[in-house]
Order: sequence, then structure tokens, then C-alpha cells
Amino acid sequence: MGQQPIQQHPYDYEIVKKFSAVSVIYAIVGFLVGVILALQLAFPDLNANIPYITFGRLRPLHTSAVIFAFGGSVLFATSYYVVQRTCKVRLFSDFLSNLTFWGWNLVVVLVVITYPLGITQGKEYAEPIWPIDLLITVVWVAYFINFMGTLVKRKVEHIYVANWFYLAFILAVAMLHIVNNLAVPVSLTDSYPVFAGVQDAMVQWWYGHNAVGFFLTAAFLGLMYYFVPKQAERPVYSYRLSVVHFWALSFLYIWAGPHHLHYTALPDWASTLGATFSIMLLLPSWGGMINGIMTLSGAWHKLRTDPILRFCIVSLSFYGMSTFEGPMMSIKTVNALSHYTDWTIGHVHSGTLGWVSMISFAALYHMVPRLWGVNIYSTRLINFHFWLSTVGVVIYIVAMWISGIMQGLMWRQYDAFGNLSYSFAESVAAMHPYYAIRAIGGVVFLLGALVMAYNLVMTVRQDGNASQRAAA
Amino acid sequence: MADLKDGKTTGHQWDEEEGFPLQEYNNPLPRWWLYTFYATIIWAVVYWVLYPAWPLADGFTKGVWDWSMYKELKQDLDEVAAKQKPFNDRLEKLSLKEIAGDNALLQYSVSGGKALFGDYCAPCHGAGGVGVKAGGFPTLADDDWLFGGDLATIQETISKGRSGMMPAQLKGAGGAFADNQVEDLTQYVLSLSGKSKDAAAIARGDKLFHGEAACNSCHGDKGDGSLKGTMAGGPLPPVGAPNLTDAIWLYGGDAQTVRESIGKGRTGHMPAWGEENSARKLSPLQIKQLTLYVHSLGGGK
Repeated sequence: MGQQPIQQHPYDYEIVKKFSAVSVIYAIVGFLVGVILALQLAFPDLNANIPYITFGRLRPLHTSAVIFAFGGSVLFATSYYVVQRTCKVRLFSDFLSNLTFWGWNLVVVLVVITYPLGITQGKEYAEPIWPIDLLITVVWVAYFINFMGTLVKRKVEHIYVANWFYLAFILAVAMLHIVNNLAVPVSLTDSYPVFAGVQDAMVQWWYGHNAVGFFLTAAFLGLMYYFVPKQAERPVYSYRLSVVHFWALSFLYIWAGPHHLHYTALPDWASTLGATFSIMLLLPSWGGMINGIMTLSGAWHKLRTDPILRFCIVSLSFYGMSTFEGPMMSIKTVNALSHYTDWTIGHVHSGTLGWVSMISFAALYHMVPRLWGVNIYSTRLINFHFWLSTVGVVIYIVAMWISGIMQGLMWRQYDAFGNLSYSFAESVAAMHPYYAIRAIGGVVFLLGALVMAYNLVMTVRQDGNASQRAAA
Repeated sequence: MADLKDGKTTGHQWDEEEGFPLQEYNNPLPRWWLYTFYATIIWAVVYWVLYPAWPLADGFTKGVWDWSMYKELKQDLDEVAAKQKPFNDRLEKLSLKEIAGDNALLQYSVSGGKALFGDYCAPCHGAGGVGVKAGGFPTLADDDWLFGGDLATIQETISKGRSGMMPAQLKGAGGAFADNQVEDLTQYVLSLSGKSKDAAAIARGDKLFHGEAACNSCHGDKGDGSLKGTMAGGPLPPVGAPNLTDAIWLYGGDAQTVRESIGKGRTGHMPAWGEENSARKLSPLQIKQLTLYVHSLGGGK
């Protein structure tokens, strides 16, 4: 089926194109920094004693680049695409659309400059200093008004489920960002948080966990609810399930943060609530997986020919697996083994590489040809990318599972006299081979992203004739 | 299957201009999903009853099991302390020699010493005391000692620390000798372990070693180190000057490294772990365990 550009639509596709383009660039940069970090962990001399590229400075650059630059740009692109097409109206304001684009990219540039210089506020996933935080707030309010305004002026009676998830994401992230970054500035680059001690830690992980919950889960579920049925050409499995799991997820997720602080100064009762709400979160999380997979059910034969659907199904599988693993790891006794080990790193990456990145790749492959009104340059390259991604993720997380569980077991191993059997340094030495294997997994995944970039650039560069040839 | 029996959707439709329009079936919630969800809620409620869970105006619900992480930690630590107490009581009273003669006590000490060594000593001396040449940190697993490898000396080394100083010989670095003289000394030192055949240079170096440079006043007339060497038949001061006649080197035995050691000198410092007011204070009991562990690494005398 050739993609015909829709000539008579009122939509603003330029903004979607711009966010799509930068998302591919940020994916490659973010993954590349990740690979450099993986190699530095395996071979520490690689930082060459240059302070700007030491692990401590590059690590937040990696997390911010992949979550906020790549993930954020994908969410801007897809939410603007989805909300227009499901509301049958142009975005609320072109000015606000452009403000979000240039503002968000300015945030990314400032982050890339400040982190390597060591200028951060030292809060995980919330490292930007206060002036950048203010800029993020402005961009986010503009995003909210633009998205909400589009919903208000919609020409369709019902609001499609994808938009609920996007809206919940925008609202929750606004609240989390503002509360966690409440601080008193003392200079252009320094500030003190208004919370202190364990309260600050609790607010930080309330933010940190819900960044996962609303940025990497709810928002990408919104994306899934549009692109999976659209690509599979099947109706969504259950409207009822989408309503129930939406509200259950939104209500339960916000409580789960304390599971990041088990066995710390955090009071036992807060720790318990965090663990129990995490367990109750399992099925609401799985609601999205069930709806996605059951939507694909009945279109299984298309998996043979459509690598975009393969990305969708594998992505949903990783989603189901990591949303099962998460609640398990939140139980105190399991956490006593897993916390501070590479198991956590493996868990995060099965979610971010397996779920978030794969569903984003599917969305980009679906959207880009439609935005530019051409056929995809090469379906075989999508398939190649699919296999590189899948193999890369599996290598990565298996290495981290082994390394993490081994680490946890070594740290708690006592001999017959009650003395520790291993020193910390011995556990580090034991992790070395798995760190090297993990870096290989990361390189394979990065190669996949490069293949995607090539394929998308060639797609966009096609003129009408080339499009005919590719279709033939 | 995935479709309702009548195949009907909710009737809502979106995005129908291009491609398959978005529609929704309204299948019931999967039973297994719903019941498992209820089960997790019941599990949570049971957990709240058993464990500390909900904050109150004054305190929080303690849970019927009266569990707290501090109690759990204390219980674990008490268990270990109870297990170790009989050993520790005897360790404190007995001398190192007596402990070394008692197999059970020795095993206990080596086990504790290994854990302590991993935390405090391995960063310089390497895992298992293999030594780190680049920093001049001696190997503790062989029988080549700078200050002595008997129990009492090892204990003293750990408690009070050690310092070793090889003065620089090169003129520019604070010494008194020219480049060619340092080279002669280098060739002589290398010849002691059979690594140089330059007879003329060795002869000149020999003269300097036992003469103007007075290397023999620390390394001994034969160059076999302050521990077992002698000068004019008499013992040497305990300065930790290494034996130069064997194949074991503190910083490295290639010509380049030896030349650097002689020319620019070396300083080595082992911190004191048993001194009062030391930032790195270990208890006498811990030092006893460490002593027995190091002694057991392979070279204890």
C-alpha cells in the first residue's frame, strides 16, 4: 500500500517532523554515550583521566539524553501527531508548538554543556541546575496548554484512549518536576533544595520512580494505544480494560517510590507502603500489555511480513516482563539482594531498551513515511534493525542479571565464623567479564539505531520517482 | 477470541481518513486478570496487618508481628557477635604464637583477617597480598621481607607503620652523582642478579656502591638488603632496604626502573593502623587477626 500524503488535512506535520528528526539524532547520541560508559566500566582507563568524560559526569548525560532528549522528543512528536489525527483539528497554537520544540532543544543543549563541566544539582534524573529547571517548566506549561487546547477544540465527540495517557503524563510530570526541584538559589549555578535529609530522599524517589511511571510507562502506553491498532489494522481489544487499567495505574503508581529506599533511614511504614503499592501495580501495568497483545491477536500472520509489528509485539513482551520484575524487586527481601547491584541496571534497560525504545522505533517507522508522503526506503533494513535490537537487549540484560545476582550473593556471603567471604574489590573483579559482554550488547543495539537512521534518511530523501522504484 | 461474539465495537471511530480507522471492542476484563488484581490487593492488606504500614497522627501502625528493620539488623548482628565471642575472648588473652598453635583459633583469625585485609590492605597490596609494583607496594605472599616476616614483626609493621627512603643519587634530583655514574651504579646493581655483563661499568659501579655513594650502608656489602645483609661484618640498621641480589623487585628490575630508583630515589610509606588517635584505627584484636592472615599468605617465618 503506497502512502499518499493527505493533501487536504489541517494538521501541523512540520512540528511532528522536526521532533521526529531530532529524536533519531538524540537516540544515537544517547546510546553512544551509554556504550562509552559500558566500556569505561569494563576498562576504566578509557576515561584517559579527562574529567569531562569520567563516569560520574557522563552517566547523567546518558540517562538524560536517552530519557528526556530521545524519549521526550518521541513523545512530543507522537503526541502532536496522535492528538491532531484523533481530534481532527490542528494543534492549538503554532507558536506554542514551536516554543516547545526550540525550548526543549535548548534544554538539551544546556544539559550537554553543563553536565560534563560538573555543573548539576546532584539529583538522579533531575540533574539540571535551577535556571534550566525554570526553562523546562516554561516548556512544559506550553506543552500542557497546547495539548489541552487541542483536546478542547476537537471535532470528535469522544477522546481517544491514547490521549488520556498523554494527558496524565503531561500533568504528572509537571507536578513531579516542580515539587522535586523546589530549591533556593544561591548563585546562577547553585541552589539548596527546600527538603532536607530523608524527606529530600523521599521526594527525590517519588519523582524518580514516577518519571519511570509517567514518562516511560504511561506516555508510551499512549503511544502504544495509537500505533499498535493502527499498524495491526485491528480494533483495540477492550475499551473497558483500558479505562480500568488507566485509572488503576495512575492511582497506584504515585505511591510506589519508597521501594527505592528500602533498608535506609526511611521509616519502615513508608517502605511497606511503597512495596505493597508496587505489588498492586502489577496487574494495572499488565492491562496495557494485554490490550496491546490481544489487539495484535488475530493479526499474527502479519508478523511474518511486517517488521514494525514485530517491534510492537517484542516491545509489549519486554514491557510485561519488566513490569513483573519491578514489583518483585520492590519486595523487601528480594530488594535486599537486588538493591545497589547490576540487577537494577538490567531491569531498567529491559524496560527502556526493550519496551520504550522498541515501541518508539515502531512509531517512527509508522509515522515517518506518512509524514513525508513516501514509502519506507527498505523494509528489509527495518527487519535487520529489529533483530539487532532484540539480540542487543537480550545480551545486555542477561549479562546484567548474572552480574547483579552474583554481586548480591557475594556481598552477603558469610563464612562459618560470621566474617564476610568476599571483599568489595573481589566482587568488582568478578563482574568484569559481564561488563564486557554488556558493552557488546550495547554496541549491537547502537548499530540497530544507526541502521534505522540510515533507513529513515533514505526514506525522507526519496522523491516521487524513487518512491515508485522502492515500491516496485 | 479477541472479537466480541457479535463482532461489534463501541461504535466510536477515530482517524479514519487514512489507513484502518481506530476502533475499540469492549471485551470484558479477563477473569484471570481481575482475580489476580484482587489477590494482590488482599496480599497488600495482609501485609499491612503484619508489618508497620500506615502513618497515624502520632506514630504509625506497628503491625501484629512487631517487625522493624532495626530489630532484624540487631538480631543478625547479635547472632554473629554471639558466635564470635568465645573466639574473641581467647584471642585477646593469648599470644600470637599460642593462637597460631591452635588450629581452630588460627582458622578463625585467618577468616577475620582476610575480610579486614580486603577492606583495608588490598587497595595497595592487591587481593591476596600479591603486591602492586607500579606503586612499590610489596608482595606479602612470598618469603622476601623488608622488615621481617615473623609474627611479632608483622604485628609491629601493621600497628606502627613503616617508612622506607631510598635517597636520590642524581645531581639534578638532589644527589651527588652525574648521569654516567648513576648508569655505572645501575649496571652494578643489575649484575648482582646476573642481569648485566658490562664488566667495565660494573667495576666502576662496584667502587661507587661501596665507596662514595655508600649504598652498602643500607643494602649491605653483598647488596642482599638490610634484613640479612652485613657491613664490615656488623648488622645493618632496620631501614627496609631491599635485597638486590634476587629476582624480586619492589618497583621493577628492568634497567630503566632501576636507573630511576637510583637516580631519583624512592619513598615508601605503610600507614600505622594501631596508633591511638590514628584516622585508620584498627583494634588490637583486628590487628592480631590481620597479622595471622598475612603470616599465612605463604611467606610467614
